[in-house]
Amino acid sequence: MPQQQNSSSVYDWSWFARGAVNLFSLPALILLSAFISLGGLAREAGLSLGELLFMVPLIWALPSHLILVAGIVAQAPLPAIALAVGLASIRMMPMTMALVPVIKVEGSRSWHMLLASSLVSITAWVHTLAKAPNIPRRGRLPYFLGFAMTMMVVTTITSGIVYQLAATFPPLFMAGLYFLTPVYFACSIWKTSKVKAEYLALGLGFILGPIAALYFPQASILIGGVLGGCLAFLFHFVVSKPGKANVL
Amino acid sequence: MFYNSFDAWWWPFVFITLAGVLPTMVWRWAGALLVGNLDEDSQGLLFVRCLATSLVAAVIAQFVFYPNGALSEIPMLVRASAALFGFAVFLRSGQKLIWGILSAEAVLFLGVMLTSL
Repeated sequence: MPQQQNSSSVYDWSWFARGAVNLFSLPALILLSAFISLGGLAREAGLSLGELLFMVPLIWALPSHLILVAGIVAQAPLPAIALAVGLASIRMMPMTMALVPVIKVEGSRSWHMLLASSLVSITAWVHTLAKAPNIPRRGRLPYFLGFAMTMMVVTTITSGIVYQLAATFPPLFMAGLYFLTPVYFACSIWKTSKVKAEYLALGLGFILGPIAALYFPQASILIGGVLGGCLAFLFHFVVSKPGKANVL
Repeated sequence: MFYNSFDAWWWPFVFITLAGVLPTMVWRWAGALLVGNLDEDSQGLLFVRCLATSLVAAVIAQFVFYPNGALSEIPMLVRASAALFGFAVFLRSGQKLIWGILSAEAVLFLGVMLTSL
């Protein structure tokens, strides 16, 4: 390295801890509940504890986990599972692209963004976007890392404990836990949205996803989601004057 | 190549990496590398946000309309009403997340009780 400037000094690391203490917040509890179900599911599927502990933090996306476990249960071939997981994960790209400009500072290196992007998940994404306006720019990346890394450690341990205990809960209880996730996602994204087009995108994706599932069951999220996003932006472009965000 | 193809201890980890980790991770890295100099208030970023939001909404709908596991045992009508009612309460309560979530859960349990009578 020619210039040994301490690149970590461009961030305000005191925000790392403030992200981490969100462990005791609503989003954290909801995420935990989802990973309780995953621990049980992995055991039923015949995965080993080591495989579960490997998979939870490295994949770090609940839909991908569910598709992988379902694929293993169905004894699907590797390329088929990889394709299904890949199609369901395309959302990670626009999610990351929306997050990076918010957490980036003058002096951020691209490897910082690569590292941070590895931790992008719906929960951490929504939570950080919602909190970012109240966090000084230099504290945003540390806040995101603090939140996401703590979540990662705690959910991995929790899913492992559930697996180890072979904890069996009544199906209705599990269903209730699992149902927290979609309601939380929908409400928190609504709350984070600022522009009409974003509200529209949320509604259109919710409607077009299931409709697409009738015709393209394997790629419904991708097709319904991309269509909904494009239509929402098109609406924004037609209704509002270009170059001016149409704030609700 | 299947999950059970090889009897080696390392094979499941390779399988999980190839079938689950990489297909998820590449999109995050692609996003981080392709973002370039998108401005926080630019039109391009708004488009990207619309795409991300709509894709996540499609994931939410998947949870409600085509779930797996214990949730799939609950009738679709109950799931859909619980989600919509919860969201309506969230909006009416001045966007309080906790009220939306609690009322959605209440309708879910109530619906299960009513339909299993």
